[in-house]
Amino acid sequence: MSLVSYMEDNAGNLLFLAEQHIELVLISVAFSAVIGIGLALLTQSAPGVRQALLSLTGSLLTIPSFALFALMIPVLGLGVAPTVAALTVYGIFPILRNTVTGIEEVDPAVVEAARGLGMGSGQRMRTVVLPLAWPVILNGIRTATIMLVATAAIGAIVRGPGLGQLIFRGLERIGGANALEEALSGVIGVVLVALVLDLLFIVIAKITALRGLNV
Amino acid sequence: MSDSPSPDAMIFLDEVSKQYSGQDAAAVSELSLEIKRGEFVVLVGPSGCGKTTTLRMINRLVEPTHGRIFIDGKDVTHADVDDLRRGIGYVIQQIGLLPHLTIADNIALVPKMLGMKKSGRRQRAKELLEMVGLDPSTYADRYPRQLSGGQQQRVGVARALAADPPVMLMDEPFGAVDPIAREKLQMEFLRLQERIRKTIVMVTHDIDEALRLGDRIAIFGPGSRLAQFDTPLEILSNPADDFVRDFVGSGAPVRRLSLLKVSDVIAALPPETPGGANAVAIDAGESVHRALELVLGSRAEGIEVSVPGEGSRYLGLQTLLTAAAQPAKVLS
Repeated sequence: MSLVSYMEDNAGNLLFLAEQHIELVLISVAFSAVIGIGLALLTQSAPGVRQALLSLTGSLLTIPSFALFALMIPVLGLGVAPTVAALTVYGIFPILRNTVTGIEEVDPAVVEAARGLGMGSGQRMRTVVLPLAWPVILNGIRTATIMLVATAAIGAIVRGPGLGQLIFRGLERIGGANALEEALSGVIGVVLVALVLDLLFIVIAKITALRGLNV
Repeated sequence: MSDSPSPDAMIFLDEVSKQYSGQDAAAVSELSLEIKRGEFVVLVGPSGCGKTTTLRMINRLVEPTHGRIFIDGKDVTHADVDDLRRGIGYVIQQIGLLPHLTIADNIALVPKMLGMKKSGRRQRAKELLEMVGLDPSTYADRYPRQLSGGQQQRVGVARALAADPPVMLMDEPFGAVDPIAREKLQMEFLRLQERIRKTIVMVTHDIDEALRLGDRIAIFGPGSRLAQFDTPLEILSNPADDFVRDFVGSGAPVRRLSLLKVSDVIAALPPETPGGANAVAIDAGESVHRALELVLGSRAEGIEVSVPGEGSRYLGLQTLLTAAAQPAKVLS
């Protein structure tokens, strides 16, 4: 059986798993974003702590994903929970780093003027700093998302949802009937999901773009 | 801390000091300064003399380590900073317009913080654009990056004036625009000030700008010493010490000419009989500089000034030159 006809025959299941995969990634990225942006804001006046957090979350990325998923088992068992937890951990660093960079790149004169006009620190953050840093922050979220699409496939080793299941099941019984087709369709699915999500972010960036910045 | 401000003082700094931690010398030490209502005061001096720190202590962007600050008779040393700043216009060299807001929204920032309704804010923004010489129908809905540097600085001034604050602080406001646009902006700003009569404190390092704009000039020496605080004419005529003399630089007699009015000269001198028929007519409000320019340009021998109630007065070239060389005599 050829790969194409295999995929045609299993279209329903493939679509279901792709949907699961997208959901898994978006939920994890949402957690990462809340934590990453939150940490950047909380450490606004503590540059030392901020630097330490960047190093810590950066070094978490060097843990092989296979190992991190396995390490979650004693704490969270199998299934969705450990997968989301591990993915969230991976997603924090790019978002935290880009939020910090985005905030630092805001023109200090604009912030100074806002301060001189009597804008309090919270309001300055909301109406000046975050809107101007947003394109950079969004790029961090996008990077995290694409990264997690690939990593999420490994989540299948802890019985996580998504296209990883096809890859692992296929590889386990390699040599058997349609084993290679199953694994390959999982890989192709992951690539397509990455493309779709990347497109999604291009659209979000367009929609949320600030007027007045590119004139 | 002893004094309290006199009734006509709008800004009063009472022995304020700023000592940054980790630095030996104070950025500003025990400075007292009284600025009257409606007065345009320019702080000038070499870099590091504390003029900008002094300016920024007035709206407490820099918190003084010692001393008290009074605005309009009230001690604001410990008042709520955001409330204080909303009542003081603030213009900086880099302008700092919010690039993602329209010109109208930028101007309306402070009125918005003060709770003004949207329609009122827009109306106010349009009035202010007109006041600074920008057509509201063209510029209200543009973004800052669509404007030239000079136009942006006008918007910066409009934004500072939006809530009609009695006091304006300006930190080298014309420093970033090119020399030709700068002179134009300065003159426009002077005309605007004649109408709105705000109490203005401006920082510059350019003594010529200070002489051109200030009602009074505070010259800061090294170590935040207030070397002289006086009118431009007094500073040019009677510099307090060698530092002031050096800082003002050469050519003081010539620069003084543009500060001295023809009417000042007339008031100080006994009537003079016309020396020749060859005199140029000039308004009493013109500067001696302009008068000399006209006389020399048309090879005349003097000027003819019409004085209300006295008919016309004649001043010879020699008289004008003497007056220019000895303004103290003319003014006393």
